[in-house]
Amino acid sequence: MANAKVIPLEEGWNEIKAKALDKLQNILNEDMKTGQTNLFGPKEYVQIYTTCYDMCTQRSPYNWSRELYQRHGETIEQYLNDYVLPALKDKPRQGSNILLTELQHRWKNHQIMNKWLKKFFTYLDRYYVKHHSLPTLSQAGLRSFRTHIYDVIKADTTQAILSLINDEREGKIIDKTLVKSIVELYEGMGMGTLDAYTTDLENPLLESTREHYARKREEWINDSTPDYMIKAEGALREESDRVAEYLNSSSESKILKVLEDEILERVEMVLLEKETSGCRALLQNDKSEDLNRMYRLFQRLENGLVPIASIVETFITEVGMEEVQRRQARVDGEKDKNDDPSFIKALIGLHDKYLAVVKNDFAGHSLFQKALKNAFVEVMNTNVGQFTNAELMSTYCDRILKSGGEKLSEAEIEESLDKIVQLFTYLTDKDMFAEIYRNQLAKRLLASRSSEDAEKLMIAKLKVQCGTQFTSKMEGMLSDLAVGGQQRQEFEQRIRQEKIPLDFSVLVLTTGFWPSYKSPEVTLTDEMQKCMNIFRDWHDQKHQKRKLQWIMTQGNATVRGTFGKKTYELMVVTLQAVVLDALNDGVTLGYEELAQRLNLEGDMLKPTLHSLSCGKYKVITKTPAGNKINNTDTFTANAKFTSNMRKVRIPMASLDSSFSTKKVEEDRTIAIEAAIVRIMKARKTLQHQQLLSEVLAQLSFFNPNPRVVKKRIEALIDREYLERSAENTGVYNYLA
Amino acid sequence: MDVEEATVNLISKDGDSFPVSIGVAKMSELVRSMMDEDENEDENSSMEIPLPNVKSEVLQKVIEFCQHHLAEPMNEIEKPLKSQKMSDVVQKWYADFVELEQVLLFELILAANYMDIKPLLDLTCATVASMIKGKSPEDIRATFNITNDFSPEEEAQVREENKWCEDA
Repeated sequence: MANAKVIPLEEGWNEIKAKALDKLQNILNEDMKTGQTNLFGPKEYVQIYTTCYDMCTQRSPYNWSRELYQRHGETIEQYLNDYVLPALKDKPRQGSNILLTELQHRWKNHQIMNKWLKKFFTYLDRYYVKHHSLPTLSQAGLRSFRTHIYDVIKADTTQAILSLINDEREGKIIDKTLVKSIVELYEGMGMGTLDAYTTDLENPLLESTREHYARKREEWINDSTPDYMIKAEGALREESDRVAEYLNSSSESKILKVLEDEILERVEMVLLEKETSGCRALLQNDKSEDLNRMYRLFQRLENGLVPIASIVETFITEVGMEEVQRRQARVDGEKDKNDDPSFIKALIGLHDKYLAVVKNDFAGHSLFQKALKNAFVEVMNTNVGQFTNAELMSTYCDRILKSGGEKLSEAEIEESLDKIVQLFTYLTDKDMFAEIYRNQLAKRLLASRSSEDAEKLMIAKLKVQCGTQFTSKMEGMLSDLAVGGQQRQEFEQRIRQEKIPLDFSVLVLTTGFWPSYKSPEVTLTDEMQKCMNIFRDWHDQKHQKRKLQWIMTQGNATVRGTFGKKTYELMVVTLQAVVLDALNDGVTLGYEELAQRLNLEGDMLKPTLHSLSCGKYKVITKTPAGNKINNTDTFTANAKFTSNMRKVRIPMASLDSSFSTKKVEEDRTIAIEAAIVRIMKARKTLQHQQLLSEVLAQLSFFNPNPRVVKKRIEALIDREYLERSAENTGVYNYLA
Repeated sequence: MDVEEATVNLISKDGDSFPVSIGVAKMSELVRSMMDEDENEDENSSMEIPLPNVKSEVLQKVIEFCQHHLAEPMNEIEKPLKSQKMSDVVQKWYADFVELEQVLLFELILAANYMDIKPLLDLTCATVASMIKGKSPEDIRATFNITNDFSPEEEAQVREENKWCEDA
C-alpha cells in the first residue's frame, strides 16, 4: 500500500463533501457563467479522486466502496429535492416558455453535476459497479433525475411543448433551441432507449397533430383541388422540417403518416372527383404541375395511385374514342378507304401526348403505364368502317415508306416508324397487320418504290416487338432481292452472248415469303419467250432442285411506241406489253380474237384493256367508245395519242386483292394447333380450361376465340394427336 | 522529445516533475479525464498534474511504458495465458520491460490501476499470473514470500472445496 494510513469513512467523506460536493452545489446554485467548464483544476480534482481511490482500495473492513456508491446517489437525490424541484414547482402556471426555460437550465445543471460526480467517484464504476452489476454512476444520476424531477413535471412540460408547436403551426415564432434542448431531455430519459420520448412526448404529439390537421382538412376542403394540394404539400414539408429542426428523427415517418391519414387518405376521392378541379379536369386542361403534385402526394399512400390511374385510363380511353368517332363520321360521309392518315396521325398525337404525361407528370409509374396501355388497347382494337385499324396502320406505313409518298427526311421517317410501332404493340390482331404489311411491302419491293434501309429499319423494329418468327417472311423477301441483284449481273453476261434485241431481267422470289399471285399462262411474244427459255436453262443448271414458276402479273416492261410522228416510252406491266404487241402495226382485233391469241381469261384481259383504252393515257382506241370492256368490242392502236411527256407510266389496277383474311385465318388455325400440340407434348395430360388458358397465353400475335380453340382441339382428336380421357371427358391425353 | 509538441508535467508523490507529451499523458484515463474538458491543447500545455499515489521511481517506469506503447502498441494478451514465459505472450520489449523486482512490479500494478492505464495493468497482472501458472501452493508461497496461515483442518477444507479445480 502506498498509503499506510487508513482513512476512516466519515473523515474521508467529510473531505470529499467539503472540497467537492459543497463547492459544486454552490457553483450550480449561483448560476454559473456560461462556458465555464473547468470547475475543478487538476490539483483539486486529483486530490478528490485520490481520496476516493484510497477509500475504495483499503482492505476490508475499511473498504468504503458500498458506502461511497450509496452516498453518491443520496447526494444527487438530495440536491434534486432540495433545490431543483422547488424551483420548477410554480413554473407551469407562468407559461410554457418560463417552465421550459427553467427546466432547460436545471437539466443542464444536472448534467454538469452528474458529470463531475462521475469523475470524482469514477473508481467505483471500474470495479464496484461492475462486480455488483449496478447502474453506472451516470445512469444512477439520470435515474434519479427521472424519478424525482422528470416524472413529476413531464405532463406539464409535454403540454408546454405541444402548445409551442401549435403556435408555430399557426405561424408564430417560437424558441426552437429551447424546445430542442427539452426534446433532448426526453430522449435522455429513456436511458439508452427512446421509450420515454415515445411515450411521454411523441404519442401526445401525434394525437395533437391529428386533431390539428383534422381541423385544417375541414377548412381546406372547400378550396379547389390544386389549392388544397399545395396546402397539403406545404404542411408535409413543414412537419418534415420541424422534425429535422427539433424533434427526434424517428418521429418523422409517424407524424407524416398522421398527416397522410388526415389530409390525404380521408379526402382522396373527394379531391380526385371535384367537378371543376379534380383529376379529370386537370387532365382535360393539361395541368401538368398539378397532376405531378397529385402524383407526389398520393403515391405516399398505399394504393393511393390506384384511383388516379383509373381516372387516367378512363380519360385517355375517352379521348381516343373521340378520334374513333371522328373517323366513323368520315366513313359515314365519304367513301371508305383503307387509307386514313388523319386518324392514325391523331392517334399517334394522342399517344405521344399521354406517353409524355405518364412519363413526366406520373414519373413513369407502372400503374400509369398500364392505364395508358389499357386505354390504347381498347381504342386501337375498336374498328369502324370496312377497314381494320391494322390495315389503316399498315397503309400509313406504306405512305411513309413509299418514295414519293409523304416526302419525309430520314430522321422523320424513323421517328414516324417508331411511333407507329408503339401503336402497333396495342393491336390484338398483330398477325393481320403482318399479312397486310407483307402485301404492301411486296408491292413496294417489286416496284422498287422504297429505300431498302428504311424497309430494314421498320422490319427491325417489328422484330424487336414480336420476335424473329413474326418478321421472318419479310426478311426473306428482302434477302430475295439482295440475292437477285447478284444473280442478275451473272445472267446479264450470259444473255449478252445471245444478241437479243431486248433488255431482260428476272427476279427470283421464294414461294412462301411472298404473297401468292395469280399466274396466267399468257402467250408471250417470241422474243420474250426466248429470253425466258435462256433464263430457265441457265437457272436450272445453277439450281437443279428448284422449280421456276413464272408470275406474269408482276412483270414490268418498257415499250417504245410510235404514234403519228412522235415516239414515246410506255412503262407498263407485262400483260399490257403483250396486248400492245398484239395490236402493233395498226392491227385491229376483236376482244375474242385477242383473248384467244393471248390465252387470257376475262378477269385478266379486261382490266388490262381497260387500263390501255379507258384510263388517263388512251394509247388504244376501243370501238365502240365507252368505259366498260365488252366481249364484242374491237381494239386498235390510237394513232392520235399525244402526251407532254416522253416517258409515260400507264397504271393498272392490281389483279390480286391486297390481302386475304382467309390466309390469316389459315395461319391462325395452324398456329393454334401448333400451340396445342406443343403444350400437350410437354404436359401429356391436361384439363380443358388449363389447356385453353395456356394456348391463349402462348399466342401473342392474335387473340383467338375460345370456341375456335375448342374446334382445333376436336380436329386434333380426329387426327389422333389427342384423346379424351376415359374417366373424365374434360381432360385430354397426348398421343405420341 | 520534440520541442514543438505540447507537454504536461506529471508530478510524482516525491514532488518530481516529469514533462511528457500530451499523447503520452493521455494513455492514463485519469489524466485524460482532466484534459478532455478543454479541446484546446495549448491551454493544457505545461499543466501540472499531481499524482500523489505514485513514487518517482514508479512514475518513471510508467512513462517509459506509455512512450513505448505509442511507438509500438502492445499486442492484446491472450487469456488464459498460453505460456509461463512472457516473451511468448507479448512483444520482446514488453517482456523485457517486466523483468523487474517483485516490489517494483507490484507498485507498477498499483500505479497502473490508480492512473487507469489498461495495457499496463494487463501486462503487469499477466506477469504476476505467469509467475503463478503451473505452480503448487507451496511454490507460490515461496515465490511471493507468503506464510501459510491455514490450520491443517482449514487447508483440508479448502482443498476439498476446490477439488473440482484440480480435476479439471
